[in-house]
Formats: sequence, C-alpha cells, structure tokens
Amino acid sequence: MLLFFGGSFYMSVRISRKKENADGYMTGGGKIGFGISAASMTATWIWASSMYASATSGYTYGVSGPIHYGLWGALMILLIYPFGRRIRAVAPRAHTIAEVMFARHGRSSQLMLAGSNVLGSVISLTSNLIAGGALVAMLTPYTFTQGIVAIAAGVLLYTLWSGFRASVLTDFAQVVALLGAVVVIIPVVFFAAGGPSLFETGAANLTAQQQDFFSSDAFFNQGAPYIAAVLAYAIGNQTIAQRLFAVREDLIKKTFVTATFGYGATIIGVGMLGVIALYAGVEPLGGDVNNLIPQLAATYLNPALLCLFFVMIIGSLSSTADSDLTALSAIVMADIYGQNVAGKKRANPRTMVLIGRITMVVAIAAGLVFAGSKFNILDLLVFVGALWGALVFPVIASFYWDRVTNLAFSAAVVAGLALFLPVRFSWVDLSGGLGLASDVLSTLGVGIVLGLMAFGFFGRRVALVVGTVATLAAAPFTIGFLHTYPVLSGSLVAYAVSTIVCVALTLLSKDRFDFALIKERTGNFDEDEAAESRPADAPRRGEPVAAGEGI
Amino acid sequence: MTFLLTVYVLVWPVVVAGVLFVISRAFYRELRQAKAEGRSVI
Repeated sequence: MLLFFGGSFYMSVRISRKKENADGYMTGGGKIGFGISAASMTATWIWASSMYASATSGYTYGVSGPIHYGLWGALMILLIYPFGRRIRAVAPRAHTIAEVMFARHGRSSQLMLAGSNVLGSVISLTSNLIAGGALVAMLTPYTFTQGIVAIAAGVLLYTLWSGFRASVLTDFAQVVALLGAVVVIIPVVFFAAGGPSLFETGAANLTAQQQDFFSSDAFFNQGAPYIAAVLAYAIGNQTIAQRLFAVREDLIKKTFVTATFGYGATIIGVGMLGVIALYAGVEPLGGDVNNLIPQLAATYLNPALLCLFFVMIIGSLSSTADSDLTALSAIVMADIYGQNVAGKKRANPRTMVLIGRITMVVAIAAGLVFAGSKFNILDLLVFVGALWGALVFPVIASFYWDRVTNLAFSAAVVAGLALFLPVRFSWVDLSGGLGLASDVLSTLGVGIVLGLMAFGFFGRRVALVVGTVATLAAAPFTIGFLHTYPVLSGSLVAYAVSTIVCVALTLLSKDRFDFALIKERTGNFDEDEAAESRPADAPRRGEPVAAGEGI
Repeated sequence: MTFLLTVYVLVWPVVVAGVLFVISRAFYRELRQAKAEGRSVI
C-alpha cells in the first residue's frame, strides 16, 4: 500500500503547480488526450464494488451471471456517448451536468442533480472504503478500521493538491495495474481450482438455472434491473460527466468505445471467479458473498500473486474514490460556490480551489464515518442507480427538446422518486390493482429505456418506433407479472413516471429555449487561461452567440 | 461443453490485455508528444 499510494503521490507531485487553476482542478481544462481519458473512464467505471458484485452474480446465477452484470454496464458506456457528444456540443466548457442544468433551467434542476451526486459520490466513497477495509482485515494483520483510514489517507494525499488532473493521471497507472492483474489472476485461479475438469467434477453444484446461459432467473433478478439502473448511473453521475467535459471533444467516441471494452472484459472476467467458486463448491466466509473474491485469492494465489490481487482491488477502489472526491469538489466549487454563493461573474478561482480542497477533506471524513455501517454492496448500487433513474429522461430531454421547462423537469423527478420508493421497497401490497398499475407503468418503462437507447444513435423517429414496439411486445408478458420483481419494477416505474410527467408538463409550455445560451452561461472560471485555449471563433462570455438547435 | 466453458472463462483476460495495450500505447504517444512540445501531459 505504501508503494501504491507513494507512487500515486509521486505522479501527482510531478504534475502539480504552485497555483492550481480552478478549471484544471475540475476538468483538466477540457483538452485531455485519448490514452489518459480512456484509462480514466475505464478506471472510474470499475469500482471495487462492481468487481465484488460481478463475482457475486456469477456465484448466485451461474454461467450467465457475470454477463448480466458486466455486459450491460459496458454497453451503457457505449450507449451514452452520443448523448455525451450532444452535451459537450451544447456546453463545451462546463464542469458539471448540474451546472449545465442551471444554465438550461434554473436552481431546482441544478440542485436535484447536484444533491443526487453528492449522495451518490458519498455512498460510492463509503462503499469503496468498506471494500478496502474488508480486504485489509482479511489479508493482512491490520484491522478494518486501520485499513479504511490508510486507504482514505492515501487517496486524499495524491488527489488533494491538483484535483482532477491528479485523479486522471493516476488513473492511468491504476488501470495498468488493475488490468494487468486481471490478465494474470483469472487464468491462474482457474487452473489452480482444477482447470477445465472443474466443469465436469463441479457440475453437480449448479442448478439447472445456474447452468443455463439464457437463465431467466439471472435476467430478471440481475440483468434487467441492472440495465435500468446503469443507464441512469451513466447519465446522472458527475464522475462520468466530468471526464466527458475533460476529454478533447473529437476523442469522445474513441474514449467511450475503448472504455466499453475495458470495463466489460474486466468485470465479466472477474465475475468468472464467482462462477469458478460455484463449480468448486466454495462456501463464502461467514455466508457473506462479498468475501468470495478475497477468499479465492487467499486460497489459490501464491504470496506474489496475492500482492498483485491486492493491488488490483486497491487500484479499482482508489481510482473510483479519487473520482468521487473530484466530483464532489467540482459540485461544491461550480454549483454551490460558483453559481449560487458568489455568482458566476464574481467567483474567485483561488477561493474555488481552496473550497475544492476543503470539500475533499470533509468528504473523506464523512466516508470514514459512514464506512462503519456495512451495507450490502449490490443493493447500494441498484438504489443509487434507481435514484438517478428519475432524472434520466428529464436530463436527456433538456438537451434536445427546447420546450422542457424547469417545472416539467423538477416535477418529473419528484414524481418518479415518489412512486419508485413504495414499489422498490414493497411498502404497498402489489397483489391487486396497484400491482396491475405498477406493471403497466413498468411496461412503459421498458419502452422508454429502449427508446432512449435508440434515440442516442438513431434519433427521435427510430426511438419512438423502438419504444412503442418494445412496450407492445413486452405487455403480454409483463403485465400481471413484473410486480413480483420489485427491484426491476421500481426502476422502470421511476423511468415511466418521470417521462410521463415531464412530457405532459412540457407539452403545456409554449416557450422555446435557445440552446446557445448554455454555452454563454457556462464556461471557464479562470478567464486568463481560458483566453489562451479558446478557439479564435469561440464567443467570449457575454458576447452574443448564434441560435441553438432543437427538435 | 467443457471446451466452450473454458474458452468462455479465459477469453476475458485476452480482451483485457488488448485494451491494456491500446491504452498504454496511446498514453506513451501522448507523453512523447507533450515532452516534445515542452508541456505537461495533463
């Protein structure tokens, strides 16, 4: 750990400046190249929890389990890049999605996105600290508490001074360690556990569903809820948005495609450890499936490879934890101080950097406090994703549809969340009419999710066709049935309700928004540096700009 | 079936190795270019 965090600190020192500027601290200035940005996207999307959860999925649902975790997560990176290009075109010099929503709608929309991201990042930070602490407690003589304190201190050490610039540069080193470890560890564990013969000797340990590559059990309990949750995660999460605003605009597609393969292969590969454990008849320590990966490592790896495994997990959780810290600092710097306290024109970049650093210290302290209560990692992931589910349609629509209003946005999110909670947590009896209503909304949610995915690539017409066909095709199978899967239903209901409310209230509005205003209202806080990097034909803040596009 | 399952387990580290190569090569090129231009890579 000393070597890992010491090396990361050394890298951050090499790029540090005596006076960091605010824009660099939040997005690296928006000119980052393909190698660093692809590494950073991959490293950020892979967190320790996703490795544990994929292995859990493999252990619980058998051969198809890792696919139902990793493939959908990977495809979401691919599916959101067209939205990313649109967002970047509309707001080329923004720092957070919430900042763009402030420019598009106003304060309530901004605070919903900022608030959900503060919650999401603190949960993510906590979850990663828990994973790290548990690993330290299991594989070293140190305690859980000592582990989380050491990891929190290490991440803070290399991220605090240079912020996002340090985060993405160290992501590269972390992704090399992480991916390198995956390349070695999966085959070693596989052959140490018995190799190909394991599939013959251990087949009796699997149920028919676990042996089935097209397991409906795996799809409805893992794959489908995750598709719904992870789309929301990809759209609403500031750590992803921050990288979107940081990478050179012409490299967005290349970066996202590479990260798709990197994330997918890594997470599905690690999920195979769960499948191997299932075939080998391994029982998780203390009945806790989160112990599976460390347990397999301790059983099958020699001390050198065990160190490599340790680096793999520490690398995955550190890269996500530093992303959470930089996301939180950017939100407090740009959304709270920059837009709401000081105001865009009066915001002092030096004060902003100081605020960013204080935010990181407070966030890591909060993460340490919350790490004391160990939540189920998979539940956390689904919950945070579903929370953002209510935001997906209003956020996407706000970038394309010039009639969406602040009221439509805000009411849609509140309504989506209000109906998500009772369905997801079974607060109401869904066996009667309410169950039917939930199924109808969930079925609409299926069409909306698929329609949104199609919209990014093919536009409105194809999206409407895909959404309608998907809804009609799913209805005979889902109505009267889906409410028995509350995790999936909750997310789909959130999508459906927020979409219906957003569309209904938007159609009542006659006003049209000029998207060019977003470019004017968002932008660099360090004007001197911005002037050096700004293209000759780009407008300065306050200058008139051309009318925007919309549908 | 055993062969297919073995390939299914072992194909992922191979894809990961490919991605690692692509990212590392791009980073090395960016690092060289930044040095040649006398600026920081980030």
